[in-house]
Order: sequence, then structure tokens, then C-alpha cells
Amino acid sequence: MKRHILGTVLATTALVSVGQAAELRMSWWGGDSRHVATQEALKVCGVKHGHTINPEYTGWSGHYEKLTTQIAGGTEADIMQVNWPWLSIYSADGNGLANLAELADIIDLSNWDGDQLQAGTMNGKLNGLPISTTGRLFAFNKTTWEKAGLDLPKTWDDLLAAGPVFKEKLGDDYFPFEASRLDAALIVTLYGTQATGKALINPETSKFDWSKEDLVRAIEFYQTLVDNHVLMPWKDVAAAGNIALHENPNWASGKIGGTYQWDSTYFKISDPMEDGQELTYVDLLSQEGQKTPGIYRKASMVFSISKNSPNKEAAAQIVNCLLNEEEGVAALGATRGLPGSTAARSQLLSAGAVEQVQIAAQARVINAEGPAIHPMMEFPDVRSALQDNLELFAYGEVDAATAADEMIYAIEEALEDL
Amino acid sequence: MGGDSKFLGLWYVAPYIIGLLLFTAFPFAASFLLSFTDYNLLSAPEWVGLENYEKLFTRDRTFKKSLTVTLTYVFTTVPLKLIFALFIAVVLNYRLKGINFFRTAYYVPSILGGSIAIAVLWRYIFADTGLMNMIIALFGGEPVNWFGEPANALFTITLLRIWQFGSAMVIFLAALQSVDKSLYEAAAIDGAGPWHTFKSITLPLITPVIFFNLIMQTVQAFQEFNGPYIITEGGPLKSTYLLSLYIYDEAFKSFDMGNASAIAWVLFVIIMSLTLVAFWSSKKWVYYAGDKRS
Repeated sequence: MKRHILGTVLATTALVSVGQAAELRMSWWGGDSRHVATQEALKVCGVKHGHTINPEYTGWSGHYEKLTTQIAGGTEADIMQVNWPWLSIYSADGNGLANLAELADIIDLSNWDGDQLQAGTMNGKLNGLPISTTGRLFAFNKTTWEKAGLDLPKTWDDLLAAGPVFKEKLGDDYFPFEASRLDAALIVTLYGTQATGKALINPETSKFDWSKEDLVRAIEFYQTLVDNHVLMPWKDVAAAGNIALHENPNWASGKIGGTYQWDSTYFKISDPMEDGQELTYVDLLSQEGQKTPGIYRKASMVFSISKNSPNKEAAAQIVNCLLNEEEGVAALGATRGLPGSTAARSQLLSAGAVEQVQIAAQARVINAEGPAIHPMMEFPDVRSALQDNLELFAYGEVDAATAADEMIYAIEEALEDL
Repeated sequence: MGGDSKFLGLWYVAPYIIGLLLFTAFPFAASFLLSFTDYNLLSAPEWVGLENYEKLFTRDRTFKKSLTVTLTYVFTTVPLKLIFALFIAVVLNYRLKGINFFRTAYYVPSILGGSIAIAVLWRYIFADTGLMNMIIALFGGEPVNWFGEPANALFTITLLRIWQFGSAMVIFLAALQSVDKSLYEAAAIDGAGPWHTFKSITLPLITPVIFFNLIMQTVQAFQEFNGPYIITEGGPLKSTYLLSLYIYDEAFKSFDMGNASAIAWVLFVIIMSLTLVAFWSSKKWVYYAGDKRS
């Protein structure tokens, strides 16, 4: 009898082993719509492949710190959503994350073209599969602009002209645009990139690539936007405390008429808007004599698999399900932007699962021109250099020339350290 | 491990000692060593000697700003919190109807503590369109920019800490209740008024508890993190950028663990020095039972 029971137990264990049911973890950042869709997709893919996937999700804020600490401690999730510039931190030599090319029998890599795969490749090893391509775009609250009796802007001059109209027709607390903190720094960067035709940091040389005068002009342009009632002054934005755009009641109610955000955040910023308001993307605003539209485009986030995962094959099945298989793709939808995988893209497009506005936004990102972006543009020290000194300028603590000097010094120091 | 073993006690405390060694003593020692290195978490530490400290004291403007903000915060928060906690404790020491309810109610903010939820609540209360400005508007006042004005932002964070006065208050209350009632009776017979009684009898007798609260609150104030991180993220113009935030940013945003450890050790030395000064000065103003001083 005992022998019979033992035999049954061993046989059951063997069957589980053949089925390779694994318990996995997956981590990502995002807004509510992405969280809901991803959890649903993990359930669907988990059932399909016989695995259990425990979700670990946060907002954007703090995710980089959390993920880096986990990777340093070897406690990262099996599947991770990784911001593209972070690949060079986690896996400069290609060995910090699993090489997905070795799992090509599970993940159908034919859904990405060579350039896309190259973006996720570090030192010859495929460390991340691009989920989508993303870029910073201008998004406007069409409803508010119509209320002001204005067409959506095409140039910076249109935007400058809209400020006084908003003030006069809608009131002091209505602004045609918003940008503070990092967004303000990126507006300055965009304006300078358009004027010079060059990225702030040269991707080839890893050097600061503008002249001081270029930077001063871009910084002064920020003040012009504030002076023309286009942007709420930095001090007044700070009065609401440390809150993101999608948490800002002025954004939800339509008192802020526009923003400059990643196209992949469409749902995040459109979900909180009160009923009856329409969010619309437009082409990058242009300036007279510009040398480039200056699109800030990059491979968006990638999916990576931990090099420490004991279940890399199971993780690869889930990644493939999320990015290529019908069930996962349908559940995930376009919550991370229009998918880079051709299979997922055609499935979503033919099912009408992507909003027209997202398709149009993606086309704007892909078709616009601009210099290549250096990954270090997204490094905290470089961002602090831009943001902290622009804040000093915005508060009137320093003039534009001093702010530019300090930015250049801090950026060069950060680049040297890196 | 028999019951008569001379190591039995050690076995009982072993879990605590192991935890202390692993999670306090080891990181404490490791951070000291790391403060002499260049270490980014993902590659091996590189010995740089005193470079991190030299940079902090000679070139790092953010450190100077953050240190100034931290000292301002501590020297404002701690006295105000102690005075407020003592005041409420004195009030709650009176035998009033429903006093137990009030004692509980005043302690609630401390149970909620420095949690993220409370910091978020604070952000809403003091936001430009928040409750505080609504109240000011009710009285015909102009709205105040609590978070956007550097001068106001630190004060707003300070208020959050003072609001969490409950634990200090409970300790004061216990001390007040342990004061010998016969001393008050004797003072009353001698014709002493409430203020003189408080100044000459109550205060001297509770100085050990004032001293205890002073040390504890000072240490806690130096470690404040949640409030400024959630409410202002250290801004504007780094006016609420306490050293704890700077340590966090250096460690987990810039991944400069060496520099972060050096700042942590500077903070430790400051706390230690102030504690030693407090202990030294306590000989002059703290009175213990059986004290022969007049």
C-alpha cells in the first residue's frame, strides 16, 4: 500500500515537472489603465501557459530606484518593464540581464525589425524587447481651446498669442499650456534643439553640444512663455504640492489647455479629464528658421527577463504571450502605446482596439525628424542639472546666463562621472 | 540546551541580537567603510579615501544648503513640538469631564504617525485650493502659497511634525501625574499661584522627562523623510531638502553609495555631538530624585 502511495506521489510530481508550471513575478510602472490591463493580461497568459505570475506595479515615481536596488540585490522580478535608457546602467556589457536571443525558440523575434532589436541590444546581447516607440508630443485640450475661440496652435508664436486670449476670455486661472519641473526643462531642450538642429548631448561624443548662447536663448524663451500667460509661473504650480499632471485638478477640469508628454501616456493623462473634454495631439510646434522639428523619440520601455530567474523559459512564454499572442495582446491593448510587435500592432489595429488618436500620435512620433537622443539625457544627474538651475531662474534667483553656466558645468560633470 | 544551562538567557535574546547584528550593526559598519569608496551598487566599490568627505565640505553646494535646511528644521521643530506637547499635557492633566476621550483624541495623530497617507493628506490641506486656504478665505484673507514659497514650505513641513505631538505628550502626561501632590498643597498654603507652582515645582520635577523627549525628538527630527519627500520632494529651491532626502537621492537616484554613506556619517556625527552636548548640559538643568542641588 505504502509503495502504491509513494508511486502515485512520484508520478504526480513528475507530471507537474513536465508541465513546468512556474511561479513568476513581473514588475512595471504606469497609471491605472495600464495596471488593470496588465493584471488581466497576466491572468490570461498565466492560464494559457500554466504559470502563476505575481504582479508588482508602481507609479513612475520611485520605480527606477526600486528596480535598481532590486537588481543590485539580485531580487528583481523574473519579467521587468525597463525604461530603455536604463539598459545601459543595468547591462552595459550585455550580461546584466538575460539574453533574449537565447530564448528565440519561445519568443517570436520575427515581429521586430533589425533596428528595433538593435535598440534593445547591449554589447551584442538582446537584453530587452521594445514594447513600443515613444516620443514627446504636444497634447491639447481641444474643448478648452474651443471655449477660448482659438484653433489649436501650430507654432510657438500661436501659443504665445493664445496666452492673453485665455486670460481675457476664460479667466486668470486658465492657461493654454503647462510645463514645470522636468517638463519645463524638456521644453527648453526642445526649443534649443529646434534652433540649433543639435541634441543637447551629442550621442556620438557624449559631450554637451550647444553653445552657451544657445542655452541662454532657450532658457529665456521659458520666461517668455510665463510672461505671456502661456505657462503658470513655477511658484504657482508648486503651490499645489508635489503632484503629477494627471493628479492635478486644474488639468482634470480643463483649466490647463495643453501639455508636452510621451505619446504612450495618452490614457494616463486623458483618463482623469472630466467628461466632455477631448485631448488631441498636434505636430510639434515650430519656430521661424528652425533647423529640425526636434522630436524627442526613443525606443520606449522594453520587457526584460532577469538573468537570475530560475524560470527563464516560463518567463519567455509570458513575454511572448504579452507581446505576440492573441490573448495577451488583446488584454494588454495599447496601454503601453502602439505595440512595436507587428503581430500585436496588426491585431489591435484590425480589432479597432487602438484609439484613432493614438494611431495618429504614433504616426507623428515616427514621421517627425529630430537628432538622436543620448540615453544620458534621462540620467538623474543630467536631469537635475537642467531642472534645478531652471527652477533657480524661474524663481528669479539667477539670470539666464548664470543658469546656463551652472547647467553646462553640472551636465559636463555628470557626463564625466558617468 | 537544558533548563539549567548558563546560556539559556542568551538563547532567549539570540533572535534580537542576531537581528541587531545583521540589520543594524553590520550596515552601520559597512556604511562607514563605504563612505571611503566610490560605489554604484552594480559594480565593486573602489577605495577613494577621504574624497567623498572632501567634496562634501569644499565643493558640494547642495550639501551646504541641505545641512542648513536640516538644522533650521530641527531647531524649529523640536522646541515648538516640546512646548506644544507639554502645554496640551498640562491641559489634559486637569480632571475634566470626558478627559479620557480628549487624551485619546490628541494621541491619534501620533498613531497615524509620519505615514505616506498623512503626508498626502497634508499636501491636500495646504495646497493652493486646499482646506487651509478655504478657511483663510472664510475670514476674508488672501490665499497663502504654502508650498511654492520657499519661506513657507519648510514651515508647512514643520507643522506636520509638530502636529504629531502625541507620543511626547503622553510621556509628559505620565510625568505630570507622578508629581507628588503634597508639594502642590504646600505651595498653595504658601500662596503660590498656578504659574509659580508650574515654574518652581512642576517644571523642575519633570526635567528628566523633558530631557528624554528632547533627545528622542531631536533624533527623530534629523531623520524626517516622508513629509518633505511626499509633499514637496525637497522643493521649492531645495528649501525643504533635508539631509535624509539628499542621502536618498545620492544613494538611490544617482547610485553614489559612497557619497550617500559619507553624508549619513556626517549626519550621525551631528546627532551624536548634539546628544553629547545635551547630556553635558543636563547636569545643570535636569533634576533627578534624591538630587542634593537646591
